[in-house]
Amino acid sequence: MTQSDMNEKFVDVVSKITEIGKDWHSQDLVTNAMANLPYTEKSFKDLPPLSESKRNSAIIVSAGPSLHKFDVLAKLKQSNYPGAIVAIDGSLVKCLKNGIIPDYVLTLDPHPTRIVRWFGDNEFEENTRNDDYFSRQDLDVEFRNNSIKENQENIDLINKYAPQIKLIICSSAPKNVVERAKDAGFDMYWWNPIVDNPKDPDSLTRQIHQINKKSCMNTGGTVGTAAWVFANAILKVPTIALTGMDLGYHSETPIEMTQTYYELQEFANTREELEQLFPTFIFPLSNEQFYTDPTYFWYRNNFLDLFSRASGKTYNCSEAGTLFADNLPCITFNQFLNSEQ
Amino acid sequence: MSDLLKGNFTTKKQVTKPNETKDSDTLESTFKKAALNSIGGSMVYVERTDLTWDGED
Repeated sequence: MTQSDMNEKFVDVVSKITEIGKDWHSQDLVTNAMANLPYTEKSFKDLPPLSESKRNSAIIVSAGPSLHKFDVLAKLKQSNYPGAIVAIDGSLVKCLKNGIIPDYVLTLDPHPTRIVRWFGDNEFEENTRNDDYFSRQDLDVEFRNNSIKENQENIDLINKYAPQIKLIICSSAPKNVVERAKDAGFDMYWWNPIVDNPKDPDSLTRQIHQINKKSCMNTGGTVGTAAWVFANAILKVPTIALTGMDLGYHSETPIEMTQTYYELQEFANTREELEQLFPTFIFPLSNEQFYTDPTYFWYRNNFLDLFSRASGKTYNCSEAGTLFADNLPCITFNQFLNSEQ
Repeated sequence: MSDLLKGNFTTKKQVTKPNETKDSDTLESTFKKAALNSIGGSMVYVERTDLTWDGED
């Protein structure tokens, strides 16, 4: 499905997301970059060179439902994969619990109370008391059912392994994530997000760069895409596999359970009109049906847009979701692992 | 003119009461709320230029 096939309302909704994000985050980005300045010592330029095996191939471990559904981390652990492993904040604990120590972990979101949870949150009860962001999603059922104990275990786990991990941390990171990362002992490398055209003299990206002079990187709006950009454009790894990059819901998920269902009802007069705001995709490997909402569709478009201007090979090994295109082949994770042995 | 604001004079130009809320504004704020709910945990934003920039023009 392409944007030209979609109904006008859906296209209109998608087109507003960039500006909404910009309005929402502009001040946080500058404030956080200034607050983080004393800690922004190392940047991409200080990353040590990769070993030969890690230089040739990388796996991006994002945190979509397919990561759990297809037992990706157990397969990865069993495979003794020799390439680089690039995780995101939301998949780090899952990796460690499966005995996988990622080479790199990306974090970028400036949210002041939510993101620190991925690193084990010393203020967990206070930060989650009036926020149902995680509990209304099935992101981690185990955690949701036993959250205080799980949080403490995550703190211990992160503290144990952080010194072995390079944290690729954006200047937009909030204070509590930075404090937590320092305490845990991550090896931190800083960067800035490209948030508008840096060649414009008044650009926000340029303003942030002026604060710390660190390299800037496009993120596609989500940390999973940022992880791929990092592997492709910074590490320059020629072959990359994506895992856990669903960017959509399985057709068995009722639209009533999606995050924006109630608000999107305002855009539609009938059930048929409402369903047009959740366009469907047939995943090519399985012929299963998935669908997006405007936000996931926006992430998907951003990824494919960035991907079209990148070099090297990327395979989507998520085995689910909406992220595929003629130039972005989908293969099973096992196929990818076998090809890398 | 609103019943709450009546003067004892006549304006030179005709005064028309603006619409308090346009449909498009309502939809925009509704979507803003929806987007913020869904993007809450994972967003900066994208500008479709190059993948990286090092401060050089």
